[in-house]
Amino acid sequence: MKVLVTDDSRVMRQIVIRTLRQAGYDWEYVEASDGSVALDMLGSEEPDLVLSDWNMPEMTGIDLLRAMRANGDETPFGFITSEGSTEMRELADAEGALFLIAKPFSAEVFRDTIDPFLA
Amino acid sequence: MTPGHAGPAVTPDTLGIDAFGGADPIFAIADDVFAAMIDGEPGHLRTWDGEQPAVEDEMHAWVDVDGAAPGRVLLTTERDTATRITRALLMMDAGESVSDEDFRDALGEVANVVGGNVKALVPDPGALSLPQVTHEAPALDPSSLLYELPLDWRGAFLRISLWQLPTT
Repeated sequence: MKVLVTDDSRVMRQIVIRTLRQAGYDWEYVEASDGSVALDMLGSEEPDLVLSDWNMPEMTGIDLLRAMRANGDETPFGFITSEGSTEMRELADAEGALFLIAKPFSAEVFRDTIDPFLA
Repeated sequence: MTPGHAGPAVTPDTLGIDAFGGADPIFAIADDVFAAMIDGEPGHLRTWDGEQPAVEDEMHAWVDVDGAAPGRVLLTTERDTATRITRALLMMDAGESVSDEDFRDALGEVANVVGGNVKALVPDPGALSLPQVTHEAPALDPSSLLYELPLDWRGAFLRISLWQLPTT
């Protein structure tokens, strides 16, 4: 399984991948520093899952998700973001995201949130 | 409300600071962030006991919350403490060299995650800005200080403060 982790913070990408591994997800990880970079990588990397921050320069996570769906790309998508308001969760859901994990997170939160979608 | 500022007043009450049965929600947010991201376990962050010390070689990281009552969440600490936080975030060894890029990235992310959670306490918030990290203190009207939380992280001082920003 290949996962594309998108966040404008290299430190946060590292923490996300480290915590996913701690959660037991021994996957292949590729990284994008922005929504637009992620969009460019989708064709060549063909990830099985996209995990993305929301608030990024150039292209936000929600715009990345919209662009993917507009392109007919139905790759499963989840947000990992510092904001977890009801409005954002509803918007993420309406646009087709599987889940929204608010930072700070733990390996347990990752397992509880992601495992149901792996069955 | 600070003279010269328009829009709804942002006070500790509207932020919900006094509405948690005596628990400080800003401390709860910071405690969660440090336990989950920095220390990997709870118990290394507490409120600063006694008078706040002078902060030398200071670093500032902040995010702004847009909206009807715009505000800033500001993290201030000494460069040495910020470097220790960066090493902890990246699971680096003590004394290992930290690049300026990682240093700014890490401190900005701490402010970003704290700010994102503080935003949830603000009535009718707008967008969260990208984090800023500077050596110089950002220019802020002292009278616009809403709340200040001095903290002790493993014996080192840091401060989280909430500021009201002028409406545009």
